[in-house]
Amino acid sequence: MSTVVETPQVNTITVRLPLGLLGFEHIKSYWLISNPEEEPFAWMQVPDEGDLAFLVVPPAAVLPDYSPVLSDDDVAFLAIESPDDVIIYNIVTIRPDGTSSVNLKGPIVINRHSMTGKQVVLANSPYLIQHPLGSA
Amino acid sequence: MLILSRKAGESVVIDGRIIVKIVRLDGDLVKVGIEAPSDVPVHRQEVYDEIQKANREAVTHNRPRTLPKLPQHAVRGA
Repeated sequence: MSTVVETPQVNTITVRLPLGLLGFEHIKSYWLISNPEEEPFAWMQVPDEGDLAFLVVPPAAVLPDYSPVLSDDDVAFLAIESPDDVIIYNIVTIRPDGTSSVNLKGPIVINRHSMTGKQVVLANSPYLIQHPLGSA
Repeated sequence: MLILSRKAGESVVIDGRIIVKIVRLDGDLVKVGIEAPSDVPVHRQEVYDEIQKANREAVTHNRPRTLPKLPQHAVRGA
């Protein structure tokens, strides 16, 4: 009799960021790694530099009515035709003292069909760059 | 820093492909128009600096032992 051990399926998909992240413009491609045990969090990892990564979360998990307004340029850049084309991840910071926050002002907006994205700056929005989260 | 004087309606060309135009002068406020290829990101500096700083603070080499707590309504299965 054999025992089947079920391991959670970790899903990895490549996301292209032609303009990179602000301050990391030279990195144009990330692995978006989702482990069901960490849901809804995911990791954006720099390929081939296993230890360099960003913790990200879909904003609906933080603010259900989060509604970023994209500029016409951003919509064109990402070839977005409808809201259904879009998936969004926001970058989470965990500080050494255990406090954490999520950047709601600079979401990573991704066209789910092309898996091409951009870190958009919502300059005129009320959203915070350091929206507080509960302690890690 | 290269400093040039421009009147409203005049422009500056950068690298032969980026145009910065003084669209209007309105007291203290200068309306600036920027034409650039889509592979050239353009941001207000103060917001760029803040987000760059936040990104740099967020990048991690270590995986945290516990993840932050999310608001209650977002709990899976609830």
